[in-house]
Amino acid sequence: MKKSILLLFLLITCAITAQLDRSEEPKIGPIPEINLGVPQTFKLDNGLQVIVVENHKLPRVSYTLAIDNPPYVEGEIAGVSQLTGSLLGKGSTNIDKDTYNEEVDYMGASINFSSSGASASGLSKYADRILELLADAALNPNFTAEELEKERNILLDAIKSGEKSVATAARRVESALAYGVNHPYGEFVTQESVKQVTLENVASNYRNYFVPKNAYLAIIGDVDFEKTKEKVTELFQLWRKASPPVITLAKPKNVQYTQINFVDMPNAVQSEIAVQNVIDLKMGDEDYFPSLLANNILGGGMRSYLNASLREDKGYTYGARSSIGADKYASRFRAGASVRNVVTDSSVTVFLNQLKRIRNEKVDAEEIEISKAEYVGEFVMALEKPETIARYALNILTEDLPEDFYTTYLEKINAVTAEQIQEAAQKFIALNNFRIVVTGKGSEVAENLEKIPFNGKDIPVKYFDKHANATEKPDYNAKIPEGVTANDVINKYINALGGKEKLEGVQSYALIAEAEMQGMKLNLELKKTAKNQLMQDVKVMGNSMSKQVLDGDMGYMIMQGQRKDLGEEELKKAKEESAPFPELNYLNNNLVLEGVETIEGKKAYKLRITDEKSIFYDMESGLKLQEVNTTEMQGQKMQQTLIYDDYKEVSGIQFPFKLTQSMGPQSMEFLVQEIKVNEGVSDADFE
Amino acid sequence: MKKLPLFLLASLLFVFNSSAQEVSFEEYDLSNGLHVILHQDNTAPIVVTSIAYHVGAKDEDPERTGFAHFFEHLLFEGTKNIGRGEWDKIVSSKGGKNNATTNDDRTYYYEVFPSNALETGLWLESERLLHPVIEQVGVDTQNEVVKEEKRLRVDNRPYGNLLAEIKKNLFIEHPYRWSTIGSMDHLDAATLDEFIAFNNKFYIPNNAALIIAGDIDIPSTKKMIQDYFGPIAKGAKIERSFLKEKPITQEFKATAYDSNIQIPAIVACYRTPSFTTRDARVLDMISTYLSNGNSSKLYKKLVDDKKMALAVQAVNLSQEDYGIYALFALPLGETTLDTLVKEFDEEIQKLQTELISEKDHQKLLNQFENQFVNSNATLEGIAASLANYYLLYGDTNLINTEIDLYRSITREEIRDIAKKYLGSNQRLLLEYLPKTENQ
Repeated sequence: MKKSILLLFLLITCAITAQLDRSEEPKIGPIPEINLGVPQTFKLDNGLQVIVVENHKLPRVSYTLAIDNPPYVEGEIAGVSQLTGSLLGKGSTNIDKDTYNEEVDYMGASINFSSSGASASGLSKYADRILELLADAALNPNFTAEELEKERNILLDAIKSGEKSVATAARRVESALAYGVNHPYGEFVTQESVKQVTLENVASNYRNYFVPKNAYLAIIGDVDFEKTKEKVTELFQLWRKASPPVITLAKPKNVQYTQINFVDMPNAVQSEIAVQNVIDLKMGDEDYFPSLLANNILGGGMRSYLNASLREDKGYTYGARSSIGADKYASRFRAGASVRNVVTDSSVTVFLNQLKRIRNEKVDAEEIEISKAEYVGEFVMALEKPETIARYALNILTEDLPEDFYTTYLEKINAVTAEQIQEAAQKFIALNNFRIVVTGKGSEVAENLEKIPFNGKDIPVKYFDKHANATEKPDYNAKIPEGVTANDVINKYINALGGKEKLEGVQSYALIAEAEMQGMKLNLELKKTAKNQLMQDVKVMGNSMSKQVLDGDMGYMIMQGQRKDLGEEELKKAKEESAPFPELNYLNNNLVLEGVETIEGKKAYKLRITDEKSIFYDMESGLKLQEVNTTEMQGQKMQQTLIYDDYKEVSGIQFPFKLTQSMGPQSMEFLVQEIKVNEGVSDADFE
Repeated sequence: MKKLPLFLLASLLFVFNSSAQEVSFEEYDLSNGLHVILHQDNTAPIVVTSIAYHVGAKDEDPERTGFAHFFEHLLFEGTKNIGRGEWDKIVSSKGGKNNATTNDDRTYYYEVFPSNALETGLWLESERLLHPVIEQVGVDTQNEVVKEEKRLRVDNRPYGNLLAEIKKNLFIEHPYRWSTIGSMDHLDAATLDEFIAFNNKFYIPNNAALIIAGDIDIPSTKKMIQDYFGPIAKGAKIERSFLKEKPITQEFKATAYDSNIQIPAIVACYRTPSFTTRDARVLDMISTYLSNGNSSKLYKKLVDDKKMALAVQAVNLSQEDYGIYALFALPLGETTLDTLVKEFDEEIQKLQTELISEKDHQKLLNQFENQFVNSNATLEGIAASLANYYLLYGDTNLINTEIDLYRSITREEIRDIAKKYLGSNQRLLLEYLPKTENQ
């Protein structure tokens, strides 16, 4: 009886309020407080602190072991901690590696290690077993010489493959210059240092630093606190009580005046720009939240000052970003982008203008509102992941934050004022103490970088190598030796290959090469004849990705199954490409010898073939080193480089056996498997 | 004496645990027939607002295929109170995101917001249901967008037309015979009135389920739902009668060509029952057993050991009325398509005559359990599952109980179901070949 009256009453209220105005977007409610759940905690005698967040929504569990030691310098054996992390989890002294991995797979679980912790996840019905396996591998590691060599080789390969990467060099030098190479955040791993690491170094790194003093274990999911406590205690009380060595860190300092630090990478087709300074900011500081918003408005999203100017307005870059770090040991402000070579100096100017703007002008109120909404949305969405919740609980402990730091997070974001944003910008963006680290092709960009006015005079430029050592300004204008002409360069090349007669005897050749891209095999098949025939086919996993065919005056290309006949302009280009040795046609063609540049550390003649194509020939050996093609795609100029390497003799002629093609940040290394001269090619190949 | 209470406590704990793992929800109908499902989870201040409409490609006029998917685009064009192009701006300025999907059985629209924007989500979805603006300019715009989508996802993609070819051959009578994206000619020929009629027929509260999942307060949410959706008029009941297919009793072959490929494919296709049946779930397990992961049977044999195939896949594509069970392989080197079929047959015959090992069976159960748990890991996933289980399976609570069905499947059943549906006389062999100049 009571119920139905209530129901009727409800219906009436509904009927009354149903007169809502749908023509207006609803006003939204206040920012919700976050229910992170109250973690339960306990501490073992050895110092390990355990955080348990029971969440029974799903029958799964995740474990995160984090050892929050102060950072330390690794010095001559830099890389030792990384290798220690890689060697952890390869079974234990109790279980061999294969059995360990199989058991993890069978449960559908995953377990990963680093030198400063571990993480694991899986179904909660296997919660105990997963934790047992994690603890066993963490506390009873099985370091073997064999595994060390395997992991060392993987790491060396990674370093090697990053050798020519402009971005890798840029990041390394940026950190090294900001913090100093003798600071843990500034030092870097080299091939030499990795080669020095011994098994004993790994064991002692583990002994010294994989200790419970600053260790936290976060457990989230469908577990029972009491039972988990029992299990954790049983497994981890065996972890011997120890503290890491005490270290005093040098405090990084900013430079006295704003300067450009230039790193020459002659192979760069884009410049990496980073405007940076070190700061002192911790998450618990008053100005942390204003700094978040200042950064979001300056360089957070697509609407930011940096993107609106550099990307949308000028089209200098695909995207620019900034960050204001908040780390309890050392942090920096950094704003950066990859920009086209020719606009390097103009981009630096735009960066400086936008950095001045966020310091000098109060941010528009609407801009702040949108930025807050974006920030709130992003923050809120991230909360759904258990990793996020674990990270927050850990941060409260490790960053010394108040208990309500995250539950009031959104309120604090929304309370930030325009004045606070400007104050934060002025405090953390050190306009007069910037290191503007530019990594790029010196011969094309350095000259203009020396002419950027700032505070009434040009910004001084200092030069560094790619390992952050100060150097002299490289000599970009190496002279062409007296009397040398384009023809001399071409003749020298032809002779280096095997001589004009040999080359002219080549009617055709066929080449097969292979490359790997993201674990997929790419196969290249190339056939050329001396009678304007060309066939080039690139296959991925056996399927043709792109194919180009030229037969005399006819030609077509197939891209992902779409066939297209070549136009006049394309035919002309294809014909030029089709000659087995295009240089034979370059002779006596009045090509321009533009100068001498350094290519891959070698002095090379630069020959301009067309407006779009330049070729570099080694001054010493005469061999072709690199070809650069400029193409225009969607209004943007793109440079494509082809590096020739590893010359070997086939039928008396030198052929490059390594071809590296790169465009933007992507590069592909084709290794030639077979070259046939005057065989294996017929007219049918060009149909 | 002391032991008994302890034991009791333990069993109580156990009960507590297993029930707490459930996805709790509440469901009811508004007087206009709109089905409402509420799932409250206050762990994160996020809310998903979504509507699933029980309309998919199979509801289309055979002369107007592609309509259902077209609507997925058209209904972002604006409403009486939301101007063209404003939809996305409203969503992002509240820190939210939105999207929609269409299949043969249903169309699904959703937004994810910080929970303070719940009302915005309700307003948006009720506007879309109440009075979308369907006019020529929007139809023309979306016609181009859909064509671009078809080029990108179907026509220019290697093996992009494979599913359409399977459906065309496996279904003779039932509307599953055409593809979800439909015919561009049909879309070009359609008039504005036809779009309006489709909207009036299917986009009605009594053909939809509204799912609100996340950080909500139940009483005030119910009230807002009543305010925004209550006044929307009920539509005419939709009558559905789809023709039934005759069982396949003899193997038959078909050939299709694709200009985007160079390597032929062989597909063995079997027509299987609706995903609501227990048999369909057994077939799910069989396909996992055969081809899911590097240690699965077909993958290990054909790709790893014998190196006869570049890729191999078994899929049980279940839908509301029927399912498609397909074994797919790409030959490597000199291997012929017939050889691959023989290899399929060998594994299927093993399944039909022998029991899979107990260890493999347990591994399967673990894989399904993982999959099940992870499908409920996000609110977005939970909302989509609640919608599907209610609208297409007729039992919302399957979100909690379906895993029990999988758990109860025995090794014997796997053998028997393989026998029942995967006979070589019950299938289509589709040769999907590279298109050359002459074809």
